[in-house]
Amino acid sequence: MANPPPAKPCAISRRSLLSFFGIAGGALAFGGLAGRLSAAQKGNPAVRSFTGPEENPYWNSIGPYVSEPQKSPLLLLTDRGVQLETPRPYFQTAITPNHAFYVRWHLESIPTAVDLKSWRLQVEGNVAKSMSYNLAELMNQFPQESIVAVNQCSGNSRSRFQPRVPGGQWGNGAMGNARWTGVRLRDILRASAPKAGSMQVQFQGLESGAGPEGYGSHFFQKSVDLDNPVLDECIVAYAMNGEPLPMLNGFPVRLVVPGYFATYWMKCLTWIRVLDKVDENFWMKTAYRIPDTPRGNTSPEDVKGGAVKTIPINRMPVRSFVISPDGGAKIPAGMPVQVHGVAFSGYASVTKVDVSSDGLKTWQGARLGEDLGRYSFRSWEFAWTPKLPGRYTLAVRASDSAGNVQPDEPVWNPGGYLWNRIEHQEYAVGAAE
Amino acid sequence: MGPTKCSLITVLGIALAAVLVGGIGLAQVEQAHYAPATLGQLEQPAPAALTDDSVYQISAYPEYTPELAEGEGRSETASRCALCHSTRYITMQPPLPAATWDAEVTKMRKTFGASIPDASAALITKYLKSHYTPETRN
Repeated sequence: MANPPPAKPCAISRRSLLSFFGIAGGALAFGGLAGRLSAAQKGNPAVRSFTGPEENPYWNSIGPYVSEPQKSPLLLLTDRGVQLETPRPYFQTAITPNHAFYVRWHLESIPTAVDLKSWRLQVEGNVAKSMSYNLAELMNQFPQESIVAVNQCSGNSRSRFQPRVPGGQWGNGAMGNARWTGVRLRDILRASAPKAGSMQVQFQGLESGAGPEGYGSHFFQKSVDLDNPVLDECIVAYAMNGEPLPMLNGFPVRLVVPGYFATYWMKCLTWIRVLDKVDENFWMKTAYRIPDTPRGNTSPEDVKGGAVKTIPINRMPVRSFVISPDGGAKIPAGMPVQVHGVAFSGYASVTKVDVSSDGLKTWQGARLGEDLGRYSFRSWEFAWTPKLPGRYTLAVRASDSAGNVQPDEPVWNPGGYLWNRIEHQEYAVGAAE
Repeated sequence: MGPTKCSLITVLGIALAAVLVGGIGLAQVEQAHYAPATLGQLEQPAPAALTDDSVYQISAYPEYTPELAEGEGRSETASRCALCHSTRYITMQPPLPAATWDAEVTKMRKTFGASIPDASAALITKYLKSHYTPETRN
Protein backbone atom coordinates (compact mmCIF):
# COMPACT_ATOMS: atom_id res chain seq x y z
CA MET A 1 0.00 0.00 0.00
CA ALA A 2 1.29 3.43 -0.97
CA ASN A 3 1.91 5.90 1.80
CA PRO A 4 -0.46 8.88 1.86
CA PRO A 5 1.14 12.17 0.83
CA PRO A 6 2.57 13.97 3.83
CA ALA A 7 0.32 16.71 5.21
CA LYS A 8 1.57 20.25 4.84
CA PRO A 9 3.04 21.42 8.13
CA CYS A 10 0.71 23.72 10.11
CA ALA A 11 -1.93 23.63 7.41
CA ILE A 12 -4.85 22.34 9.43
CA SER A 13 -7.94 22.13 7.30
CA ARG A 14 -11.37 22.85 8.67
CA ARG A 15 -12.28 19.25 8.09
CA SER A 16 -9.44 17.80 10.11
CA LEU A 17 -10.15 20.25 12.91
CA LEU A 18 -13.72 18.99 13.06
CA SER A 19 -12.63 15.40 13.14
CA PHE A 20 -10.21 16.20 15.96
CA PHE A 21 -13.02 17.62 18.10
CA GLY A 22 -15.20 14.71 17.17
CA ILE A 23 -12.68 12.22 18.49
CA ALA A 24 -12.14 14.24 21.63
CA GLY A 25 -15.87 14.43 22.22
CA GLY A 26 -16.17 10.68 21.82
CA ALA A 27 -13.31 10.16 24.21
CA LEU A 28 -15.06 12.32 26.79
CA ALA A 29 -18.34 10.47 26.39
CA PHE A 30 -16.63 7.05 26.76
CA GLY A 31 -14.21 8.12 29.47
CA GLY A 32 -15.93 6.02 32.18
CA LEU A 33 -16.13 2.94 30.02
CA ALA A 34 -12.48 3.19 29.03
CA GLY A 35 -11.62 3.32 32.71
CA ARG A 36 -13.60 0.17 33.41
CA LEU A 37 -12.12 -1.70 30.49
CA SER A 38 -8.61 -1.10 31.75
CA ALA A 39 -9.69 -2.43 35.14
CA ALA A 40 -11.05 -5.51 33.41
CA GLN A 41 -7.69 -6.11 31.77
CA LYS A 42 -6.32 -6.84 35.23
CA GLY A 43 -8.23 -10.13 35.10
CA ASN A 44 -11.01 -11.64 37.13
CA PRO A 45 -9.72 -11.97 40.70
CA ALA A 46 -10.41 -15.16 42.64
CA VAL A 47 -12.78 -15.20 45.59
CA ARG A 48 -11.20 -15.09 49.06
CA SER A 49 -9.81 -18.36 50.36
CA PHE A 50 -12.31 -18.49 53.23
CA THR A 51 -15.59 -16.93 54.28
CA GLY A 52 -16.88 -16.05 57.71
CA PRO A 53 -17.61 -15.45 60.47
CA GLU A 54 -20.60 -14.13 58.47
CA GLU A 55 -22.39 -16.53 56.12
CA ASN A 56 -20.85 -17.53 52.80
CA PRO A 57 -22.38 -15.03 50.35
CA TYR A 58 -21.82 -17.18 47.24
CA TRP A 59 -24.03 -19.88 45.76
CA ASN A 60 -21.17 -22.40 45.72
CA SER A 61 -18.38 -22.95 48.21
CA ILE A 62 -15.26 -20.85 47.63
CA GLY A 63 -12.59 -23.50 46.97
CA PRO A 64 -10.48 -23.52 43.80
CA TYR A 65 -11.26 -25.69 40.78
CA VAL A 66 -9.31 -28.93 40.77
CA SER A 67 -8.98 -31.87 38.45
CA GLU A 68 -9.68 -35.26 40.03
CA PRO A 69 -9.77 -38.69 38.34
CA GLN A 70 -12.81 -39.17 36.04
CA LYS A 71 -14.07 -35.68 36.86
CA SER A 72 -14.47 -32.33 35.18
CA PRO A 73 -13.00 -29.46 37.19
CA LEU A 74 -14.93 -29.29 40.47
CA LEU A 75 -14.64 -27.07 43.52
CA LEU A 76 -12.22 -28.34 46.15
CA LEU A 77 -13.22 -28.54 49.78
CA THR A 78 -10.64 -31.09 50.87
CA ASP A 79 -8.30 -33.39 48.99
CA ARG A 80 -7.66 -36.18 51.56
CA GLY A 81 -10.46 -37.32 52.29
CA VAL A 82 -11.77 -36.15 48.99
CA GLN A 83 -14.61 -33.62 49.10
CA LEU A 84 -15.57 -31.82 45.87
CA GLU A 85 -18.52 -29.58 45.13
CA THR A 86 -20.48 -29.38 41.88
CA PRO A 87 -20.41 -25.92 40.26
CA ARG A 88 -23.79 -24.27 39.85
CA PRO A 89 -24.09 -24.43 36.03
CA TYR A 90 -24.26 -28.25 36.10
CA PHE A 91 -27.73 -27.99 37.64
CA GLN A 92 -29.16 -26.44 34.48
CA THR A 93 -30.30 -29.95 33.61
CA ALA A 94 -32.42 -32.12 35.92
CA ILE A 95 -29.89 -34.95 35.57
CA THR A 96 -26.44 -34.14 36.95
CA PRO A 97 -23.65 -35.55 34.77
CA ASN A 98 -21.45 -38.19 36.40
CA HIS A 99 -18.29 -36.23 35.60
CA ALA A 100 -19.60 -33.26 37.59
CA PHE A 101 -21.35 -35.12 40.41
CA TYR A 102 -20.14 -33.94 43.82
CA VAL A 103 -17.89 -36.11 45.99
CA ARG A 104 -17.79 -36.59 49.73
CA TRP A 105 -15.64 -39.15 51.54
CA HIS A 106 -14.92 -39.24 55.26
CA LEU A 107 -11.67 -41.19 55.43
CA GLU A 108 -8.51 -41.20 53.36
CA SER A 109 -8.30 -44.86 52.30
CA ILE A 110 -10.60 -45.26 49.33
CA PRO A 111 -10.01 -47.36 46.25
CA THR A 112 -7.66 -46.34 43.48
CA ALA A 113 -8.27 -49.74 41.91
CA VAL A 114 -10.84 -52.49 42.34
CA ASP A 115 -10.30 -55.99 40.97
CA LEU A 116 -13.69 -57.41 40.06
CA LYS A 117 -12.20 -60.89 39.92
CA SER A 118 -11.92 -60.89 43.71
CA TRP A 119 -14.36 -58.17 44.75
CA ARG A 120 -17.60 -59.52 46.25
CA LEU A 121 -20.69 -57.94 47.72
CA GLN A 122 -21.10 -59.87 50.96
CA VAL A 123 -24.32 -60.38 52.83
CA GLU A 124 -23.68 -61.62 56.34
CA GLY A 125 -24.56 -61.31 60.02
CA ASN A 126 -27.85 -62.45 61.49
CA VAL A 127 -28.98 -64.29 58.34
CA ALA A 128 -29.87 -67.89 57.54
CA LYS A 129 -27.69 -67.84 54.46
CA SER A 130 -24.57 -65.70 54.07
CA MET A 131 -24.01 -64.84 50.43
CA SER A 132 -21.40 -63.20 48.30
CA TYR A 133 -21.91 -61.91 44.78
CA ASN A 134 -19.54 -60.74 42.13
CA LEU A 135 -20.67 -57.90 39.90
CA ALA A 136 -21.77 -60.21 37.07
CA GLU A 137 -23.98 -62.15 39.48
CA LEU A 138 -25.55 -58.94 40.76
CA MET A 139 -26.27 -57.88 37.19
CA ASN A 140 -27.59 -61.27 36.07
CA GLN A 141 -29.20 -63.04 39.02
CA PHE A 142 -31.61 -60.31 40.07
CA PRO A 143 -34.24 -58.24 38.27
CA GLN A 144 -32.98 -54.84 37.22
CA GLU A 145 -34.53 -51.74 38.72
CA SER A 146 -34.01 -48.03 37.99
CA ILE A 147 -34.91 -44.90 39.88
CA VAL A 148 -34.07 -41.24 39.44
CA ALA A 149 -33.17 -39.83 42.82
CA VAL A 150 -31.43 -36.85 44.38
CA ASN A 151 -28.35 -37.52 46.43
CA GLN A 152 -27.66 -34.63 48.80
CA CYS A 153 -25.01 -34.36 51.50
CA SER A 154 -26.42 -33.83 54.99
CA GLY A 155 -24.23 -30.74 55.27
CA ASN A 156 -25.19 -29.18 51.93
CA SER A 157 -25.24 -25.36 52.41
CA ARG A 158 -23.54 -25.63 55.81
CA SER A 159 -21.67 -22.39 55.02
CA ARG A 160 -24.99 -20.51 55.40
CA PHE A 161 -25.20 -21.24 59.13
CA GLN A 162 -25.11 -18.39 61.64
CA PRO A 163 -23.20 -18.76 63.82
CA ARG A 164 -20.96 -20.82 61.54
CA VAL A 165 -20.32 -24.42 62.53
CA PRO A 166 -17.20 -26.51 61.83
CA GLY A 167 -17.35 -29.15 59.09
CA GLY A 168 -17.25 -29.24 55.30
CA GLN A 169 -18.04 -25.67 54.29
CA TRP A 170 -20.36 -26.58 51.44
CA GLY A 171 -22.21 -24.05 49.35
CA ASN A 172 -25.30 -25.39 47.58
CA GLY A 173 -23.49 -27.84 45.29
CA ALA A 174 -23.21 -30.90 47.56
CA MET A 175 -26.09 -32.50 45.69
CA GLY A 176 -26.84 -34.22 42.42
CA ASN A 177 -29.56 -36.12 40.65
CA ALA A 178 -28.99 -39.31 38.67
CA ARG A 179 -30.76 -42.32 37.23
CA TRP A 180 -29.54 -45.21 39.38
CA THR A 181 -29.82 -48.74 38.05
CA GLY A 182 -29.20 -51.92 39.96
CA VAL A 183 -30.73 -54.53 42.23
CA ARG A 184 -33.47 -53.99 44.79
CA LEU A 185 -31.96 -54.26 48.28
CA ARG A 186 -34.99 -56.27 49.42
CA ASP A 187 -34.23 -58.94 46.80
CA ILE A 188 -30.70 -59.27 48.10
CA LEU A 189 -31.87 -59.39 51.73
CA ARG A 190 -34.57 -61.96 50.93
CA ALA A 191 -32.01 -64.27 49.34
CA SER A 192 -30.12 -64.35 52.64
CA ALA A 193 -33.21 -64.66 54.85
CA PRO A 194 -32.61 -62.45 57.91
CA LYS A 195 -33.29 -64.39 61.12
CA ALA A 196 -36.02 -63.55 63.58
CA GLY A 197 -34.98 -60.84 66.01
CA SER A 198 -32.99 -58.91 63.42
CA MET A 199 -33.05 -55.17 64.14
CA GLN A 200 -31.03 -53.27 61.58
CA VAL A 201 -29.09 -53.70 58.41
CA GLN A 202 -25.62 -52.20 58.33
CA PHE A 203 -23.77 -51.04 55.23
CA GLN A 204 -20.03 -50.74 54.82
CA GLY A 205 -17.93 -49.84 51.81
CA LEU A 206 -14.28 -49.77 50.82
CA GLU A 207 -13.48 -46.75 52.97
CA SER A 208 -11.14 -46.84 55.90
CA GLY A 209 -8.84 -44.54 57.80
CA ALA A 210 -5.71 -44.44 59.91
CA GLY A 211 -7.62 -44.29 63.20
CA PRO A 212 -7.70 -47.19 65.70
CA GLU A 213 -10.26 -49.98 65.48
CA GLY A 214 -13.56 -49.20 67.16
CA TYR A 215 -13.32 -45.50 66.27
CA GLY A 216 -15.10 -43.62 63.51
CA SER A 217 -11.71 -42.82 62.02
CA HIS A 218 -11.19 -46.53 61.20
CA PHE A 219 -14.35 -47.52 59.29
CA PHE A 220 -17.39 -45.76 57.94
CA GLN A 221 -20.59 -47.73 58.57
CA LYS A 222 -24.26 -46.76 58.42
CA SER A 223 -27.36 -48.67 59.46
CA VAL A 224 -31.08 -48.53 58.81
CA ASP A 225 -33.87 -50.23 60.80
CA LEU A 226 -34.90 -53.46 59.09
CA ASP A 227 -38.57 -52.46 59.25
CA ASN A 228 -37.98 -48.99 57.78
CA PRO A 229 -40.11 -48.78 54.61
CA VAL A 230 -37.31 -46.89 52.86
CA LEU A 231 -35.52 -50.24 52.50
CA ASP A 232 -38.26 -51.29 50.07
CA GLU A 233 -37.13 -48.49 47.75
CA CYS A 234 -33.38 -48.96 48.15
CA ILE A 235 -31.28 -50.05 45.21
CA VAL A 236 -27.78 -51.46 45.11
CA ALA A 237 -26.78 -49.49 42.04
CA TYR A 238 -24.17 -50.64 39.54
CA ALA A 239 -25.00 -47.96 36.98
CA MET A 240 -25.34 -44.20 37.26
CA ASN A 241 -26.96 -42.40 34.33
CA GLY A 242 -26.39 -45.54 32.26
CA GLU A 243 -22.66 -45.70 32.95
CA PRO A 244 -20.41 -47.35 35.52
CA LEU A 245 -20.13 -45.24 38.66
CA PRO A 246 -17.05 -43.01 38.81
CA MET A 247 -14.64 -44.40 41.41
CA LEU A 248 -15.15 -41.25 43.48
CA ASN A 249 -18.92 -41.86 43.48
CA GLY A 250 -18.67 -45.46 44.62
CA PHE A 251 -17.61 -47.93 41.91
CA PRO A 252 -18.50 -50.79 41.61
CA VAL A 253 -21.83 -50.46 43.49
CA ARG A 254 -23.36 -48.00 45.89
CA LEU A 255 -26.49 -48.01 47.94
CA VAL A 256 -29.29 -45.70 46.82
CA VAL A 257 -31.67 -44.64 49.59
CA PRO A 258 -34.32 -42.52 47.83
CA GLY A 259 -35.43 -39.47 49.79
CA TYR A 260 -32.74 -39.89 52.43
CA PHE A 261 -29.61 -37.83 52.89
CA ALA A 262 -26.49 -39.20 51.20
CA THR A 263 -24.83 -40.37 54.42
CA TYR A 264 -26.77 -43.63 54.01
CA TRP A 265 -25.91 -44.06 50.31
CA MET A 266 -22.85 -46.21 51.02
CA LYS A 267 -20.24 -45.96 48.26
CA CYS A 268 -18.20 -48.97 47.10
CA LEU A 269 -20.74 -51.02 49.06
CA THR A 270 -19.11 -54.33 50.00
CA TRP A 271 -20.75 -55.52 53.21
CA ILE A 272 -24.44 -55.77 53.94
CA ARG A 273 -24.64 -56.94 57.54
CA VAL A 274 -27.87 -57.85 59.32
CA LEU A 275 -27.66 -56.88 63.00
CA ASP A 276 -29.57 -58.33 65.93
CA LYS A 277 -29.14 -55.08 67.85
CA VAL A 278 -29.10 -51.36 67.18
CA ASP A 279 -25.85 -50.16 65.62
CA GLU A 280 -23.88 -48.08 68.09
CA ASN A 281 -20.90 -47.26 65.91
CA PHE A 282 -19.73 -43.63 65.87
CA TRP A 283 -21.38 -42.79 62.54
CA MET A 284 -24.80 -43.75 63.92
CA LYS A 285 -24.61 -42.97 67.63
CA THR A 286 -22.63 -39.73 67.57
CA ALA A 287 -22.38 -38.33 64.06
CA TYR A 288 -25.10 -37.42 61.59
CA ARG A 289 -27.67 -36.80 64.28
CA ILE A 290 -30.21 -34.01 64.25
CA PRO A 291 -32.18 -32.39 67.09
CA ASP A 292 -35.57 -34.07 67.51
CA THR A 293 -37.32 -30.71 66.95
CA PRO A 294 -39.27 -29.10 64.10
CA ARG A 295 -36.83 -28.71 61.16
CA GLY A 296 -34.04 -30.03 63.38
CA ASN A 297 -33.69 -26.50 64.67
CA THR A 298 -32.01 -25.60 67.96
CA SER A 299 -29.64 -22.95 69.32
CA PRO A 300 -26.06 -22.81 70.61
CA GLU A 301 -27.47 -22.02 74.08
CA ASP A 302 -29.69 -25.11 74.14
CA VAL A 303 -26.84 -27.29 72.93
CA LYS A 304 -24.61 -25.93 75.69
CA GLY A 305 -27.39 -26.68 78.16
CA GLY A 306 -27.10 -30.31 77.05
CA ALA A 307 -30.81 -31.04 76.86
CA VAL A 308 -31.15 -31.44 73.10
CA LYS A 309 -32.45 -34.91 72.25
CA THR A 310 -31.17 -36.15 68.90
CA ILE A 311 -32.16 -38.75 66.30
CA PRO A 312 -30.31 -40.08 63.25
CA ILE A 313 -30.69 -37.79 60.24
CA ASN A 314 -33.13 -39.18 57.71
CA ARG A 315 -35.26 -37.59 54.96
CA MET A 316 -34.35 -34.44 53.06
CA PRO A 317 -36.59 -31.41 53.54
CA VAL A 318 -38.06 -29.68 50.49
CA ARG A 319 -35.71 -27.29 48.65
CA SER A 320 -35.54 -25.25 45.47
CA PHE A 321 -32.76 -23.34 43.72
CA VAL A 322 -32.37 -20.66 41.09
CA ILE A 323 -29.73 -21.88 38.67
CA SER A 324 -29.83 -19.38 35.82
CA PRO A 325 -29.45 -16.52 35.24
CA ASP A 326 -26.97 -16.69 38.09
CA GLY A 327 -26.77 -12.94 38.76
CA GLY A 328 -23.22 -12.82 37.43
CA ALA A 329 -24.22 -10.73 34.41
CA LYS A 330 -26.29 -7.57 34.14
CA ILE A 331 -29.72 -7.87 32.54
CA PRO A 332 -30.89 -5.06 30.20
CA ALA A 333 -34.20 -3.53 31.37
CA GLY A 334 -37.17 -4.76 29.38
CA MET A 335 -35.51 -8.01 28.28
CA PRO A 336 -37.65 -11.12 28.76
CA VAL A 337 -35.61 -13.58 30.81
CA GLN A 338 -36.24 -17.28 31.41
CA VAL A 339 -35.32 -18.10 34.99
CA HIS A 340 -34.43 -21.79 35.44
CA GLY A 341 -33.96 -23.94 38.49
CA VAL A 342 -34.50 -27.26 40.23
CA ALA A 343 -36.54 -28.37 43.24
CA PHE A 344 -36.85 -31.59 45.22
CA SER A 345 -38.16 -33.10 48.43
CA GLY A 346 -37.23 -36.28 50.25
CA TYR A 347 -40.76 -36.59 51.61
CA ALA A 348 -43.03 -36.43 48.57
CA SER A 349 -43.35 -35.13 45.02
CA VAL A 350 -42.71 -31.47 44.36
CA THR A 351 -46.11 -30.07 43.45
CA LYS A 352 -45.40 -26.38 43.18
CA VAL A 353 -42.57 -23.91 42.74
CA ASP A 354 -43.39 -20.25 43.33
CA VAL A 355 -41.35 -17.17 42.58
CA SER A 356 -41.59 -13.80 44.31
CA SER A 357 -40.08 -10.59 43.02
CA ASP A 358 -41.45 -8.33 45.76
CA GLY A 359 -39.78 -9.58 48.90
CA LEU A 360 -42.07 -12.58 49.50
CA LYS A 361 -45.28 -10.52 49.51
CA THR A 362 -46.78 -12.08 46.39
CA TRP A 363 -45.94 -15.32 44.61
CA GLN A 364 -46.34 -16.51 41.03
CA GLY A 365 -46.23 -20.13 39.96
CA ALA A 366 -43.29 -21.36 37.92
CA ARG A 367 -43.82 -23.88 35.10
CA LEU A 368 -42.67 -27.33 36.19
CA GLY A 369 -40.55 -29.44 33.84
CA GLU A 370 -40.70 -33.15 33.13
CA ASP A 371 -41.64 -35.39 36.07
CA LEU A 372 -38.81 -37.93 36.41
CA GLY A 373 -40.19 -39.44 39.62
CA ARG A 374 -40.95 -38.31 43.14
CA TYR A 375 -37.35 -38.44 44.35
CA SER A 376 -35.86 -36.64 41.35
CA PHE A 377 -34.97 -33.01 40.79
CA ARG A 378 -37.97 -31.28 39.25
CA SER A 379 -36.80 -28.60 36.88
CA TRP A 380 -38.80 -25.38 36.67
CA GLU A 381 -38.81 -22.18 34.68
CA PHE A 382 -40.28 -18.77 35.08
CA ALA A 383 -40.67 -15.97 32.53
CA TRP A 384 -39.59 -12.67 34.00
CA THR A 385 -39.14 -9.22 32.49
CA PRO A 386 -37.56 -6.62 34.75
CA LYS A 387 -38.99 -3.36 33.43
CA LEU A 388 -36.71 -0.71 34.92
CA PRO A 389 -33.03 -0.50 35.83
CA GLY A 390 -32.24 -1.27 39.43
CA ARG A 391 -31.64 -4.10 41.87
CA TYR A 392 -34.08 -7.00 41.94
CA THR A 393 -34.28 -10.06 44.14
CA LEU A 394 -36.13 -13.20 43.13
CA ALA A 395 -37.07 -15.65 45.85
CA VAL A 396 -38.01 -19.26 45.06
CA ARG A 397 -40.15 -21.52 47.21
CA ALA A 398 -41.09 -25.18 46.64
CA SER A 399 -43.96 -27.18 48.09
CA ASP A 400 -44.47 -30.95 48.11
CA SER A 401 -47.52 -33.19 48.07
CA ALA A 402 -47.12 -33.95 51.77
CA GLY A 403 -47.87 -30.29 52.51
CA ASN A 404 -44.29 -29.23 53.21
CA VAL A 405 -43.46 -25.67 52.13
CA GLN A 406 -40.04 -24.08 52.27
CA PRO A 407 -39.81 -21.47 55.03
CA ASP A 408 -37.78 -18.27 54.90
CA GLU A 409 -36.37 -18.77 58.38
CA PRO A 410 -32.84 -20.12 58.72
CA VAL A 411 -32.14 -23.32 60.62
CA TRP A 412 -29.37 -23.95 63.12
CA ASN A 413 -27.98 -27.11 64.66
CA PRO A 414 -24.40 -28.02 65.65
CA GLY A 415 -23.91 -30.46 62.75
CA GLY A 416 -24.80 -27.93 60.07
CA TYR A 417 -27.56 -30.17 58.68
CA LEU A 418 -30.99 -29.76 57.03
CA TRP A 419 -30.59 -26.26 55.55
CA ASN A 420 -33.64 -25.58 53.38
CA ARG A 421 -34.35 -21.88 53.69
CA ILE A 422 -35.92 -20.12 50.69
CA GLU A 423 -33.19 -19.11 48.23
CA HIS A 424 -32.87 -15.49 47.14
CA GLN A 425 -31.15 -14.43 43.93
CA GLU A 426 -30.17 -10.82 43.34
CA TYR A 427 -29.99 -9.30 39.85
CA ALA A 428 -28.55 -6.06 38.55
CA VAL A 429 -30.74 -4.62 35.79
CA GLY A 430 -29.25 -1.88 33.63
CA ALA A 431 -30.56 0.68 31.19
CA ALA A 432 -31.07 -0.55 27.63
CA GLU A 433 -31.03 2.86 26.02
CA MET B 1 3.50 -80.39 46.62
CA GLY B 2 0.87 -82.24 48.67
CA PRO B 3 -2.60 -80.86 48.99
CA THR B 4 -2.17 -80.06 52.68
CA LYS B 5 0.96 -78.03 52.16
CA CYS B 6 -0.65 -76.29 49.21
CA SER B 7 -3.74 -75.26 51.13
CA LEU B 8 -1.60 -74.14 54.05
CA ILE B 9 0.31 -71.82 51.76
CA THR B 10 -2.99 -70.58 50.33
CA VAL B 11 -4.28 -69.87 53.82
CA LEU B 12 -1.08 -68.06 54.73
CA GLY B 13 -1.29 -66.13 51.49
CA ILE B 14 -4.83 -65.05 52.22
CA ALA B 15 -3.90 -64.10 55.77
CA LEU B 16 -0.94 -62.08 54.52
CA ALA B 17 -3.10 -60.35 51.94
CA ALA B 18 -5.64 -59.54 54.64
CA VAL B 19 -2.91 -57.99 56.74
CA LEU B 20 -1.59 -56.02 53.78
CA VAL B 21 -4.89 -54.40 52.98
CA GLY B 22 -5.35 -53.50 56.62
CA GLY B 23 -8.84 -52.78 57.82
CA ILE B 24 -10.62 -53.77 54.65
CA GLY B 25 -9.56 -57.42 54.93
CA LEU B 26 -9.91 -58.48 51.29
CA ALA B 27 -7.31 -58.58 48.56
CA GLN B 28 -9.61 -56.91 46.10
CA VAL B 29 -8.72 -53.29 46.34
CA GLU B 30 -5.78 -51.02 45.90
CA GLN B 31 -6.18 -48.31 48.49
CA ALA B 32 -5.87 -44.65 47.69
CA HIS B 33 -2.80 -43.21 46.07
CA TYR B 34 -2.39 -39.50 46.58
CA ALA B 35 0.10 -37.49 44.54
CA PRO B 36 1.29 -33.94 45.23
CA ALA B 37 -0.42 -31.35 43.05
CA THR B 38 -0.24 -27.58 42.66
CA LEU B 39 -3.24 -25.31 43.00
CA GLY B 40 -3.85 -22.87 40.17
CA GLN B 41 -2.51 -25.27 37.58
CA LEU B 42 -5.56 -26.89 36.16
CA GLU B 43 -4.07 -28.88 33.34
CA GLN B 44 -6.06 -31.07 31.01
CA PRO B 45 -5.43 -34.64 32.13
CA ALA B 46 -4.26 -37.14 29.54
CA PRO B 47 -6.70 -39.99 28.89
CA ALA B 48 -6.02 -42.95 31.16
CA ALA B 49 -4.42 -46.06 29.65
CA LEU B 50 -7.03 -48.80 30.07
CA THR B 51 -6.67 -52.56 30.16
CA ASP B 52 -9.41 -55.08 29.42
CA ASP B 53 -8.85 -57.32 32.44
CA SER B 54 -10.83 -57.32 35.69
CA VAL B 55 -8.90 -54.46 37.33
CA TYR B 56 -10.58 -51.06 37.30
CA GLN B 57 -8.00 -48.45 38.06
CA ILE B 58 -7.84 -44.67 38.12
CA SER B 59 -4.96 -42.26 38.49
CA ALA B 60 -3.74 -41.01 41.86
CA TYR B 61 -5.84 -38.50 43.75
CA PRO B 62 -4.17 -35.09 43.71
CA GLU B 63 -3.11 -33.78 47.11
CA TYR B 64 -2.94 -30.03 47.49
CA THR B 65 -1.01 -29.07 50.62
CA PRO B 66 -2.31 -25.69 51.76
CA GLU B 67 -0.27 -22.85 53.21
CA LEU B 68 -0.72 -22.86 56.96
CA ALA B 69 -0.18 -19.57 58.78
CA GLU B 70 3.39 -18.92 59.96
CA GLY B 71 3.86 -19.27 63.69
CA GLU B 72 4.80 -21.45 66.62
CA GLY B 73 3.19 -24.88 66.42
CA ARG B 74 2.81 -24.84 62.65
CA SER B 75 4.96 -27.88 61.91
CA GLU B 76 3.48 -29.83 64.85
CA THR B 77 0.00 -29.06 63.55
CA ALA B 78 0.86 -29.97 59.96
CA SER B 79 2.52 -33.27 60.86
CA ARG B 80 0.05 -34.51 63.50
CA CYS B 81 -3.16 -33.56 61.72
CA ALA B 82 -1.97 -34.74 58.31
CA LEU B 83 -1.53 -38.29 59.62
CA CYS B 84 -5.25 -38.82 59.01
CA HIS B 85 -6.37 -35.96 56.77
CA SER B 86 -5.28 -33.02 54.67
CA THR B 87 -4.71 -29.77 56.58
CA ARG B 88 -7.23 -28.17 54.21
CA TYR B 89 -9.65 -29.35 56.90
CA ILE B 90 -8.19 -26.43 58.87
CA THR B 91 -7.89 -23.78 56.16
CA MET B 92 -11.36 -24.59 54.74
CA GLN B 93 -13.10 -23.60 57.99
CA PRO B 94 -14.53 -20.17 58.60
CA PRO B 95 -12.86 -18.34 61.49
CA LEU B 96 -14.01 -20.36 64.51
CA PRO B 97 -14.14 -19.26 68.17
CA ALA B 98 -11.25 -20.39 70.39
CA ALA B 99 -13.56 -22.73 72.31
CA THR B 100 -14.48 -24.49 69.06
CA TRP B 101 -10.81 -25.20 68.30
CA ASP B 102 -10.45 -26.63 71.82
CA ALA B 103 -13.40 -28.89 71.07
CA GLU B 104 -12.04 -29.87 67.64
CA VAL B 105 -8.66 -30.98 68.97
CA THR B 106 -10.38 -32.86 71.80
CA LYS B 107 -12.69 -34.52 69.26
CA MET B 108 -9.75 -35.70 67.16
CA ARG B 109 -8.10 -37.25 70.21
CA LYS B 110 -11.03 -38.63 72.21
CA THR B 111 -13.67 -39.32 69.58
CA PHE B 112 -11.45 -40.28 66.65
CA GLY B 113 -8.62 -41.79 68.71
CA ALA B 114 -5.76 -39.70 67.30
CA SER B 115 -2.68 -40.45 69.37
CA ILE B 116 -1.50 -36.92 70.09
CA PRO B 117 0.37 -36.43 73.39
CA ASP B 118 -0.91 -33.74 75.78
CA ALA B 119 1.97 -31.36 75.11
CA SER B 120 1.47 -31.60 71.34
CA ALA B 121 -2.27 -31.12 71.66
CA ALA B 122 -1.70 -27.98 73.73
CA LEU B 123 0.70 -26.62 71.13
CA ILE B 124 -1.66 -27.40 68.24
CA THR B 125 -4.64 -25.86 70.00
CA LYS B 126 -2.65 -22.72 70.78
CA TYR B 127 -1.53 -22.49 67.15
CA LEU B 128 -5.08 -22.86 65.81
CA LYS B 129 -6.40 -20.24 68.22
CA SER B 130 -3.56 -17.89 67.29
CA HIS B 131 -4.39 -17.95 63.56
CA TYR B 132 -7.90 -19.28 62.86
CA THR B 133 -10.38 -17.41 65.07
CA PRO B 134 -12.47 -14.36 64.07
CA GLU B 135 -9.98 -12.20 65.99
CA THR B 136 -6.82 -13.75 64.61
CA ARG B 137 -7.48 -14.99 61.08
CA ASN B 138 -6.39 -12.89 58.16
